[in-house]
Amino acid sequence: MITYKLNKGFDGAPTSSVNCYDSESTLVMCIPFAPDNTDYQAYLKWVSEGNQPEPADE
Amino acid sequence: MALTQVDQGLLSTNAQYTGFKSRIINGGMVIDQRNAGASVTGNGVYTLDRWYAQATINSKYTVQQNAGSVTPPAGFANYLGVTSSSAYTVGASENFSLLQAIEGYNMADFAWGTASASSITLSFRVYSSLTGTFGGSLQNSAQNRSYPFTYTISSANTWTTISITIAGETTGTWLKTNGAGIYMWIGLGVGSTYSGAAGAWASSNYSGATGATSVVGTNGATFYITGIQLEKGSTATSFDYRPYGTELALCHRYCKIVAFGNNEAIPAAWGCNATTELMGDFLLTPTMRAMPTVVQTATTYRVNTASFNNNFTSSITLSTGESSTNSARLFLTVSGATAGQAAVARIYTNGGYFGLSAEL
Repeated sequence: MITYKLNKGFDGAPTSSVNCYDSESTLVMCIPFAPDNTDYQAYLKWVSEGNQPEPADE
Repeated sequence: MALTQVDQGLLSTNAQYTGFKSRIINGGMVIDQRNAGASVTGNGVYTLDRWYAQATINSKYTVQQNAGSVTPPAGFANYLGVTSSSAYTVGASENFSLLQAIEGYNMADFAWGTASASSITLSFRVYSSLTGTFGGSLQNSAQNRSYPFTYTISSANTWTTISITIAGETTGTWLKTNGAGIYMWIGLGVGSTYSGAAGAWASSNYSGATGATSVVGTNGATFYITGIQLEKGSTATSFDYRPYGTELALCHRYCKIVAFGNNEAIPAAWGCNATTELMGDFLLTPTMRAMPTVVQTATTYRVNTASFNNNFTSSITLSTGESSTNSARLFLTVSGATAGQAAVARIYTNGGYFGLSAEL
C-alpha cells in the first residue's frame, strides 16, 4: 500500500512537497506541489478519497 | 538547379514528410533508462521510456526490452516484450494495457476538436504467441472521447506490420498544452466497461475494443511490439528513425535518470547547508514537461566534503519553492557536516538510480 508523508518546507516555508513510500516503506518518490505534475495529481486524488498523509517531522 | 515546382501530389496527401513525423516517442523501443533492459512487473509503472504498463490487478504480466530474445523485425534492434504471468480472466472494469500519452504541444497541429481535424495513421510491428483480433484505443485527456481500433495477427510468432488510419476527431476537448493531448492504448486484456465498438469515435471512456484477445488470459503468452508510429495523414509511411541522442533528449523531457549504479555522481552544485543537510541545485536539460518528481531506487549515497567521506542511508528530496521546469533544488540528509563546505555526492547502491520524472 502506498503511503505519503509531508516534507518540512525549506527555510521555514510552508510544506510544498510530499514523499511517497511503497508497501515496504521505501521512499520511491518526492513529489512537488506542482499542478502540472501527474504524481501530485494522483496524491490529490488519494487525499480526496479520504486519506491523510503523515505530518512532516518537527 | 533551383526548385521551381512542388509536387502537388505530395501536398494533397496531408501527410508530413519531415520533422517529428511520428508523435510517438521511443516507438523503436530503444531507450530504457529506468530498467536498463531488466524485466519489470507491469504494476502501474513506467517500463521502457514513455511506455506505461497499466494494470488493475498486480502481477499479471511482465515487460522487458527484447524479452524472449527473438529477432526483431527488419530495420529494428529493439522491441517491447510482454509476457503473461498467469491465465487471468479479466473483470468487466479491469484494464491491462500499454499506454503512451502524447503531450498536447506535440499534436496541436492535428486540430482535433475542430472542423479542420486531420486524419492520422498508426502503424507498428507486432509478434505474439497468440493469434486473433487484438485491440487498442485513442482517447482525449478527459477520457470522454475514444476511438477503439482492432487489428489482426494471423500467424503466431511472426512479425506482422499493422497500419490503422483514423479519421480526425472534430468534437471533444483535446489539450494543446503540456497536458496529455492523446492517450494511446495497446490492449493486453480490457474489460467490457472499458471496451467499445471498433472503428468509430464514441463519447465514452474506452481503452480497448470489444472482442479483442486478452494476452493476460493465457499463461506464458507473449506479445512483442516495436516501430510504433503515429503520424498525420492517411498513409503509413516509413518509420521515423531519429538519432539516438535526439530520441533520448525527447525522453528526458519526461524522465531523466541522472545517475544509475554504484559510484555514479549526482552532478548538482552540492554544499553543506547544515550539519544534517546537503543542498544542491541541478540544471534540467532539456526543460522538463512539469516540475519533476524525484524518483530513486538508490538507498545509500556517498558524500565527500573537506571534513569527511561517508556513506549515508538516505534519500534525496526536492524543494518546490526553489524548483521549476528548468532547475531542481535537491536535499540529502546527512550527519556531521560542516555548514558552508562544498560537497559531492554519488550513488552507493548497486543497481540503484536517482532521477527526475515529469511523465504525463
